[in-house]
Formats: sequence, structure tokens, C-alpha cells
Amino acid sequence: MKEKEGYVDCPEQQVIIYVEKENGTYGPIQTGSYITKNYIDDYFLKRKNLEASLQEQVKRDEISPVKFFMVFEDLTLSELSARTKIPTRKVRKHLLPVHFNKISDDLLNRYAIVFNISVDQLININPGPELTNAEVDNK
Amino acid sequence: MSTIQFNHKMGAHCESGTVTSLLNHTGLEITEPMVFGIASGIFFGYFHKHKAFAFPTFIVRNRPGEMRKNIQKRLGIKFKTFSYRDSTVGMQALDVLLEKNIPVASQVDFFYMDYVPSWEQVHINVHFMIVMGKEGSTYIISDSYFPKPVELKEESLLRGRFAGGNMSPKGFLYYPEHIPENIDYIKPIVKGIKKACFNMLNLPVPFIGIKGIRLFARKIVDWPSLARDTEHLSHEVMKINILLEDQGTGGAGFRYMYATFLQQASDILNNPDLKDLSEELMSIGDGWREISLFAARIGKNRDLGPDKMKQLSNMIRDRADMEEKFFKQLRKSI
Repeated sequence: MKEKEGYVDCPEQQVIIYVEKENGTYGPIQTGSYITKNYIDDYFLKRKNLEASLQEQVKRDEISPVKFFMVFEDLTLSELSARTKIPTRKVRKHLLPVHFNKISDDLLNRYAIVFNISVDQLININPGPELTNAEVDNK
Repeated sequence: MSTIQFNHKMGAHCESGTVTSLLNHTGLEITEPMVFGIASGIFFGYFHKHKAFAFPTFIVRNRPGEMRKNIQKRLGIKFKTFSYRDSTVGMQALDVLLEKNIPVASQVDFFYMDYVPSWEQVHINVHFMIVMGKEGSTYIISDSYFPKPVELKEESLLRGRFAGGNMSPKGFLYYPEHIPENIDYIKPIVKGIKKACFNMLNLPVPFIGIKGIRLFARKIVDWPSLARDTEHLSHEVMKINILLEDQGTGGAGFRYMYATFLQQASDILNNPDLKDLSEELMSIGDGWREISLFAARIGKNRDLGPDKMKQLSNMIRDRADMEEKFFKQLRKSI
């Protein structure tokens, strides 16, 4: 790629890419992220829709908060089990509301640590604020 | 405790950037592409099913940790490494190194790095950065993905260093302990190139190297049946762009950085063939970049019907053909 084609104006996310300079040598330039610059609004829209869809499933008693955060944070059952050190069969149960309501404080805390939220946020299904596109622009 | 005098530099990739910065700090002038090339960093692997990944994915660099190991082996550099079972011991050990004025690389789960914007935070246990100081309960971090040093809360660093799961960091730390006075780069470059060619052409595994690119091309048409809904599919297809461009590759899935390595290697080895091949790889990289832009566009437009997925598949297959020819020529040129 030629150097002039590599520049993207995106101060929110800078990256290093390697390009062909005018003298024919290859080297690094610091530039902006193409996908953040052009598609971040689409990312936030999809996150918002995913959150709403999962919230609906929780309300209908189809999934537990553990399942909500597992999907929201793109974790697999096996990965969540390994990170919380809770056996897979137990994690599988905790994905259902009926079993989630019986989880001990210790296990709730382990889930909360992995999801990087408080136990309160876990129980109340509050993933915390994500920056909106307008906030990204102002950052 | 205060901050160590450390020349923070942005890098294309976290592992090659971290190794390069630490070597530069210790007095060895070496570029990131040279580290990447000698370490046989260029790679391809496609994972259609993997217990750690919620959706099929691919990698474009060798196994995490291999760059440091290969640099150690090929350049005769000694890295001091540490792993810990106990997080308290691991955090204390880090503080002791900082008190000795040693900037130290740390392996972490990227998700807990609270200086990272929310849209970039993903659980990935193989992020590398350099801890260069501590002020109160805040660590000063040189992360090659950021233009300036950043601050990180002690609790976040602890969570990141001791996250469980696939390839868990186990508090892993390292720093260069010994660098030979005179390094002859010729043999390490040749070895690095030969190993990269072997990985891309000859590894007897159906999802690695050129075979991996072809598998990716075949399997991507099945992605719609694996997604929850159209938005999920759109997200996964657009991640192709992130994995090739934004996730620390130097552009085009490391192909541009490897082309830069070949150009530098051509001068050192006095081998003009490598210069020609670097140009060819730059052009192959342009093709990967077309794929990433195409993936972002069809993902954004939700234009993910069979014809577009087939088109994407064909573009990927075309890269496999080009790279097979390229790596065969590269192997011959050495």
C-alpha cells in the first residue's frame, strides 16, 4: 500500500501500519483505525440491539444473567468455566434462571470478577455504560 | 516507586512491539519487522470449531510467545521469564523488578485493560505490554497499541495477569537479561524465513498455512448457518477487517510488515530476489486489504446473501493461490 493511501483520520484509535514510502522503501506510519472511523456507529447499534434482545430473553425467564453476560462478552461455556473455575456442568445449569436463583455468593462473585462488573450489576443485568458514537467523537 | 526512564514506542503488534521495545531499551537496535521476520511471525490458521471461540475465527501470526522464544533461540538473547500460581506473589515480584529499574513485559487478558476503549475490550489472554513504573496503586504501562504511556489500576492489572481460561497468562513476566555483543543476522534471517515457509507450506495440519486459508475460503460460506441472526453474522464478518487490520497486524494481516522485513533482509543478505519478493508480498497484502474492506462493507450493509459470501470466499481462495506461489518462491530464494 502506498503511504498516502494509509492515512485515516481517527484520533480515537491509532494504529501502526506498514506502507510503501515515496522513495520505494517500506516502513511504518501512525494512522487511524479505518473500521473505527467508518463503522463504529454500526457496532454500537448492534451492541444495543443485542443487549435489548438478551434483556427480553431474561424477562421471559428463558436465560439467566450469567447467560446474558456470557453472550454479551463473547465467551464460550468452556471458557467461562475455566475462568471462573466452576465445573462446566454447573455453569450450564447457571445459564438457566431456575438454577441461577440458587447460586451462592461465592460463585456469584466469581462470575462478577470474570465479567468485570459488580455482583449487583450481574444480578440486575447492568453491563455498564458503553460510549455512544457522540461520546467517541468528543473523546 | 516512580517511573523508569523508558522510551515508549508504538508498535504494529503487541508481542513483536514489546520484544522490540525491550531490546531497544537494553541497547540492541533492531526494528519490529526484523523481530517479526526472524521470529517467523507470519502465519495463518483457521479455527472452525474451538472450545475457546464462540464463532469460527482465524489467526495471522504464530503461536503467542513464539516470537520471544524464536528471537531468544536465533539471536542468542536470554530472556528472564517468570510465572506464578499465587497472584499476591506475582504482583510483589513485579514491584520488586520495578524497584530495580527493570521495565518488564507482562502477559494479560486485554479485556481488563481499563485504558482500552470499550469497543476494543475483548477477552484475549495473550496481550503483551510493558510495565514501566508504579505510582501509588497505579501502574504506568507502555502498550505498543497506544501513542503514549497509559495508567492502569492495580486491581485491573491483577485481573488481567491472573485471568483463567485458554492460554491463561499465569502472571507471566519477562525481560531481556543478556544480549550478545555482536550479532550476525544472516543465519537467523535465513532460519526465520525457512521456518515461515515450512509453517505456511508444509505443516501437516489441515487448518494451518495455505491449507488453512483454503479451509477458511471453503467454510466461510457456512457462516450464515452458524450465526444467531443477521446482525450477529454482520458482526462476525466485519471482525475479518479487525483481525486483518486493527488487531495489531501492521495492515493486511501482517503481510505488509513481513514485506518490510524482506526488504530489510534483502540488504543484509545482499539477495535482490528478496526485494522482488517483498514487492510481491506487498501486492498480496493489498489483496488481503481488499478482503477486509469488502467484509466491512457487506457487513455494514447487511448484504450477506449467498452470492456475497461466495464472492468473499473466492477472494480468500485467490489469496491462498497467490501465497502458495509466493512462499514456494521464497523458499527457493534462500
